[in-house]
Amino acid sequence: MVFYVRRILFYVITLWAAVSLNFLLPRLLPGDPAAIMLGKLRRANGGRPLSEETIRGITSMLGAEKGMTFWDQYIAYWGRILQGDLGISSTRYPAPVIELIGAALPWTVILVGVATVLSFVLGIVAGAWVGWKRGTWVDHLVPATTFLQSIPYFWLALVLVAVLSVQLGVLPIIGGYDVFDFPGGPEWSWAFFGSTVVHAILPAITIVISSVGGWLLGMRNMMVQTMSEDYVVTAEAKGLTPSRIRTRYAARNAVIPSLAGFGIALGFVVAGSIVTEQVFSYPGIGKLMIQSVQGLDYSLMQGVFLVITLAVLAANFLMEMIYGFIDPRVRHRG
Amino acid sequence: MATSRRKRLGMMFAAGAAALALTLTGCASNGEGGSGGSDRPLRVWSGSMTPINNNFNPFSVDTAAHFTFGPIYEPLFFFNQLSADPATGLIGDKYEYSEDGTVLTIKIKADQKWSDGTALTAKDVAFTFGYGPNKDPEMVSVEATDDTTVVLTYSVPKFTAASLILGSTWIIPEHIWKDIKDYTTETNPKPVGSGPYVLKSFSDAAYTVEANPEYRDGAPAVKTVQVIGIDSNQSSEDLLKTGKIDWVGQFIANPDAITKDGRISTLNQQQDPTTMLTCSSVELGCTGAQTDPAVRQAINVAIDRSAISDKAFAGLSGIASPSFALLPRDEKWLSSPDLAKSPQEPNITEADGILEAAGYTKGSDGFYGKDGKSFEIDLFSPDGWTDYNDAAKLISEQAAKAGIRINNRTVSEAEYWTPLANGNFQMALYGVTQSLVADPYSTYDRYFSTPATAKVGEQPVKGVNYARYSNPIVDAEVKVAAATEDEAIKKDAYAKIQTEIARDLPYIPVVLNASQAFFNTKDYTGWPSEKDLYAAPLPYLSTASAIVLTHLKPAK
Repeated sequence: MVFYVRRILFYVITLWAAVSLNFLLPRLLPGDPAAIMLGKLRRANGGRPLSEETIRGITSMLGAEKGMTFWDQYIAYWGRILQGDLGISSTRYPAPVIELIGAALPWTVILVGVATVLSFVLGIVAGAWVGWKRGTWVDHLVPATTFLQSIPYFWLALVLVAVLSVQLGVLPIIGGYDVFDFPGGPEWSWAFFGSTVVHAILPAITIVISSVGGWLLGMRNMMVQTMSEDYVVTAEAKGLTPSRIRTRYAARNAVIPSLAGFGIALGFVVAGSIVTEQVFSYPGIGKLMIQSVQGLDYSLMQGVFLVITLAVLAANFLMEMIYGFIDPRVRHRG
Repeated sequence: MATSRRKRLGMMFAAGAAALALTLTGCASNGEGGSGGSDRPLRVWSGSMTPINNNFNPFSVDTAAHFTFGPIYEPLFFFNQLSADPATGLIGDKYEYSEDGTVLTIKIKADQKWSDGTALTAKDVAFTFGYGPNKDPEMVSVEATDDTTVVLTYSVPKFTAASLILGSTWIIPEHIWKDIKDYTTETNPKPVGSGPYVLKSFSDAAYTVEANPEYRDGAPAVKTVQVIGIDSNQSSEDLLKTGKIDWVGQFIANPDAITKDGRISTLNQQQDPTTMLTCSSVELGCTGAQTDPAVRQAINVAIDRSAISDKAFAGLSGIASPSFALLPRDEKWLSSPDLAKSPQEPNITEADGILEAAGYTKGSDGFYGKDGKSFEIDLFSPDGWTDYNDAAKLISEQAAKAGIRINNRTVSEAEYWTPLANGNFQMALYGVTQSLVADPYSTYDRYFSTPATAKVGEQPVKGVNYARYSNPIVDAEVKVAAATEDEAIKKDAYAKIQTEIARDLPYIPVVLNASQAFFNTKDYTGWPSEKDLYAAPLPYLSTASAIVLTHLKPAK
């Protein structure tokens, strides 16, 4: 019980630190977003002077409130967060940040989440198998997959699009669903669901191809190490079937370090895969992040980083709980 | 042993690839939809990235959906920036300035309707000019004298503001906007406009507009138009190739690959000058060697513009003029044929001559300087604007050959605009926006006049003279040109301005940017062509996009 209380306390403190850091980071960046926005507006306005009203609207919206101390800004920031009000985006003015994130989050979580789980399961199963058969030809899978992982993701995606979508025309080029068939946006129908699945195949494949190697390598090495443990030798001496030794004795223990890594990977799912979303025009949160940083959109940046922070913390917490459950040693020392 | 292993590996790859291909073909069934047919929507990429903002407020200049401007809301007149022809009437029928240019009388067409069926009268126009940011501090009054006449009175002559007042003020319905107090936060998701299209459906990946049955010339022939959000030029190129989209305006380095099957045609217009913007005035606080006009003149002749055009702009850019008039459109305003083109080939001897005459000497390192110390000029461009980055690199190399040290670097987009606006820079690659009408006045007024600039450390309030250029002759002649409609007087004023700016070179012209348009001529007819440039075929240009759409017809 002490273990759980301690961990929860630890996470509460980490959460506070992370949220505070999240407040601080954008303010340490160079440049002045209000000035940038006013410049943009003036240019777009054909050089016409902006009204006092417009200027005040922009400066108060962009968080560069004049005469407000740093401390007051910090208090106001916490107040807003606790109310779930993440402010208004300037690059997508006047859309509320929470709505933008809300619309982008499900796409990212499902696509990158499924791809991450798929990549993990594939990597672990293949890794266990390769480790079990070490010294045979299947060892070649290790350099093969790490080679695939070393291909720049961007390039891999472009090649796949050029071949599968443009040349062969079997998969769609962009989007989370077919915008031509569903001009009205997402709807609850099987046709729409099918469309999203078809559209997710290519981005998911590229994510899996470029990440499976790491899991495979880690699992294989752990597997090789575990198989030299005494209890595996004992199991063999007892005459257990090889498949039982492989799954119940070796693989089960070998997977523990990979699970920890998986927890972290799951947390980063929310950060999305910025490049994936860019290449495939896939709706998601990575794109919001990059656009907000480019436009120095403080509110949106904060919102996105906050969601990512929360997700990483939550995933870590979850994995630690599971870890403590499957590995009693952690519980006692913690 | 080693060879047999390698063979197995190869086989494994082949098997894997085959399996992959099989699953893929099995999955993809739908997704066709490129073929013709008159009732399918015309699909456009106007440059919007996903997620598209659900914002159709014509006052959200930067963030509203592109089709807010033109297809949904209209200005009074359309000024075709490609020609010197007079403006075409949209809501407006004709306009007239008083003798001194302070009173503008506008006649609008009779019996027009908003898309909700309410009558559109001069009252709406008068309301628009008195609403929110449209209020001009120099405006004395605005009055609808009858159902089709609006009279705008100003305290100063407004001859040169015609394209601003008549061509880019979006007319809004009074019966809706009178209740909208805060126009900055309004998103106007159900826009009621007067343009040829009305909004049909919206999602953050794409939105669809359909023909407006109340449109004054009757509903346009293309019934529905879908505007799509795409995040990269490459995707858009792929969609164009596979026949998924019909109209884009974007840079494609190899246009022949797109147009070779005859379905897509292209048109390349060169308009906006790319320049080397210099912080030019010591009086206003600029520092660095580029404040000396001799140095700017030497750079001007030392760079190899034809190489820059070929290597950095894929040979698609046009030839810039140091007069900043757009040729041949503004031909009549060009004072001397010498000013038609900036030098295209480098002339190092001439550069040497200019610098030596100004008292610079070449140091032992091969670079020019004064008092034995060579000077360095800092040149930057926004990271990721690859054509600019490449051009800057070439300029730096070419200048080095002439003994001028220019250090090239890239900065993030956020760090690009702030120093320009504040004047804390030496030299930057910068795009000047061409005047929208066949008259270079707005360029001279906004980029070269003293009122349009500010001291280093402050931002210009009116105009974008980031070069901090201040020249009493230019200022006086800009004023002269503003107060007259007499072509002879104007021409004389422009001649004096052109002599000054071509000598002082606060903006060293590099090339004219290409703007390529690609459109489906197989399924739709009526696109602009070299022979008939009734509007620029660029879907991101406000008003012009609507003009093009109303000219289109589905091919039989």
